[in-house]
Amino acid sequence: MIKQDLNILEEKSIFILREAKAKFENVAALWSMGKDSTTMLALARKAFLGKIPFPVIHIDNSIDFPETYKFRQDLARKWKLNLIVAESEIKPDLIGAACCGKNKPETLKKVLDEHGFDALIVSIRRDEHGIRAKERYMSPRDKDFKWNYKDQPAELWDDYSSKMGTSGHIRVHPLLDWNEIDIWNYVRRERIPVNPLYFSRNGYRYRSLGCTHCTVPLRSSAKSIDAIIKELETTKEEERSGRSMDKEREMVMQKLRSLGYM
Amino acid sequence: MRVKKISLLGHKDHGKSTLIGSMLMQTGAATKVRIEEAKKYSEKKGKTFEPAFILDSFAEEREREMTYDTTRAQIKYKNNAFEFIDVPGHEELIKNMISGASYGDIALLLVSALPEEGIRDQTKRHVFLAQMLGMNRLIVAVNKMDKIGYNEERFAKIKEDLTHFLKKINFNTNNVKFVPISAYKGENLTTKSRNIRWYAGKCLADLLCEDVKEGRKGEKLRILVQGIIGVGKDSYIAGKVVSGKINSGERVKIFPSGRECEASILMVKNKKAKSAKAGENIAIKASPRIANEAKGSIILPKSEKITPIKEVRSLIFIIRKPETWKTANIYGNKVGCEIKISKVVEASSGDVLPGSSFSPLNAAHSIIKLERPMLIEDYNENKELGRFVLSDSKGFFGIGISEG
Repeated sequence: MIKQDLNILEEKSIFILREAKAKFENVAALWSMGKDSTTMLALARKAFLGKIPFPVIHIDNSIDFPETYKFRQDLARKWKLNLIVAESEIKPDLIGAACCGKNKPETLKKVLDEHGFDALIVSIRRDEHGIRAKERYMSPRDKDFKWNYKDQPAELWDDYSSKMGTSGHIRVHPLLDWNEIDIWNYVRRERIPVNPLYFSRNGYRYRSLGCTHCTVPLRSSAKSIDAIIKELETTKEEERSGRSMDKEREMVMQKLRSLGYM
Repeated sequence: MRVKKISLLGHKDHGKSTLIGSMLMQTGAATKVRIEEAKKYSEKKGKTFEPAFILDSFAEEREREMTYDTTRAQIKYKNNAFEFIDVPGHEELIKNMISGASYGDIALLLVSALPEEGIRDQTKRHVFLAQMLGMNRLIVAVNKMDKIGYNEERFAKIKEDLTHFLKKINFNTNNVKFVPISAYKGENLTTKSRNIRWYAGKCLADLLCEDVKEGRKGEKLRILVQGIIGVGKDSYIAGKVVSGKINSGERVKIFPSGRECEASILMVKNKKAKSAKAGENIAIKASPRIANEAKGSIILPKSEKITPIKEVRSLIFIIRKPETWKTANIYGNKVGCEIKISKVVEASSGDVLPGSSFSPLNAAHSIIKLERPMLIEDYNENKELGRFVLSDSKGFFGIGISEG
């Protein structure tokens, strides 16, 4: 996995975050308490001189890990986050992709409607998944949340203005350029707090965090950030291999994303 | 590590995705899962292994074996890091090609050596666009050499014909290299091929390692202002330095308001700084009145005389016929505009066409009449202030660069 220049990545992300705030009326961000969206919040603190100027939304299906809830509570207080907890209901008959494809977008739709958000910051990265690699930095979703991936608007020269005024909302992706290893290097450099579940316990750690139903830990002895970085330097395994909904691979992710999943 | 961005160019089916797939395999950058998946899909389609499936992720892309939208893939090679930007070769998908290619530092053009393929209109159009997008370095990979018996004459002919076109569009041919390859068989990619002994040059990856002389960036201070940040009762103008340097305490001028302000408190990201340079995101403390009107402005040295213009001599490229009402999007400002064509240029040949009727996928030297004066600079001097995106109510329809 390639380690990129953190300063270049940081400047680009800050530019996109500021652009989103300047161009849209009502911006919000999704926060899953994972390493990526927490890094995004750290970048937003830098971009906006210390205080994050938009609400952060947690889509709470009530089956996240206890460590995750604790992390949410602690950081929300420390960073004075304007936290919106949107409760989603888990239907017992749905599992895996069907569950993620239905619960999360539906709940998100409700929150966006209620608050009238026209832009949503989402911390996806290209190297996570072939489908996410196809994304733009700013990507429109229609009012039904559909991603028209067959006809994405052009995006060049830091110009995002030709996409404004769509009837739905815009997904803003400030971390698109980052690799997994860059996130960890940045977490180390900037001393960003992370969920303890990422570190090895009894020979296993979580590399990518979802809910308790669909996330499994991977065999790993990495107990520190340094050890995680070392592990990532040589791994050939995919980051999201512990996420069951990706198991059916590309076609599932493509379907999920076209329906509004993150 | 600084990652060199390499934009693929070329006609559909000349092997762009296959080339990147092979590079990922040869440098060990493809994950196990991706290779397995590509293998399975190749079998399903009754083919021997197709490296392009490592890249093409949309179901439709694999089904039809063509790239719909741009994507990226990184590799490490001899202490260098490259990011390949794959783009669709199909004509109708040119907006996706432009989106991807606009991020490239180096252009990598694929030309199929097969007699029935060769240099096509789209091949040349892509090069024309790459030059407009600011890429001044080009590597031409003449592909599918394995299928023509590694014929040296065919390679030489393609080189000659393409060089002729490059000269016509004033592409600096000193910055162009040609290499014969087979993307599918992986020849001349990361090692020299034994089948192409007549070729004395470097393999493709070694050519990519060669360092580019950076074009001189404007040295005058230019800050693009994005918006305002409020901190308690204080207001800050937030923006990005695109060229030059600013020192804390320096007096600067804001265009278009003409107001002056002192950068008494200069922040680089969230920290107070003595100076800031090109590429950095900054914030300057300012009175609320100055800050409130600064959105979309340019910050300049106080003493510099500037001449905002309403008529911009430009080269434009359009992907479809625009509506009557259109805008030029200039560093974040949407400015209503009219386009007056002076000379139409066929992008696929570099020829000047008679008349002023202008069909999509071509270029034109034009006068862009803006509804209000803007600060525009020569694209060759200062890219960020010399370019614009054209749009109408349906969105993007073209790009333009100022010819000074």
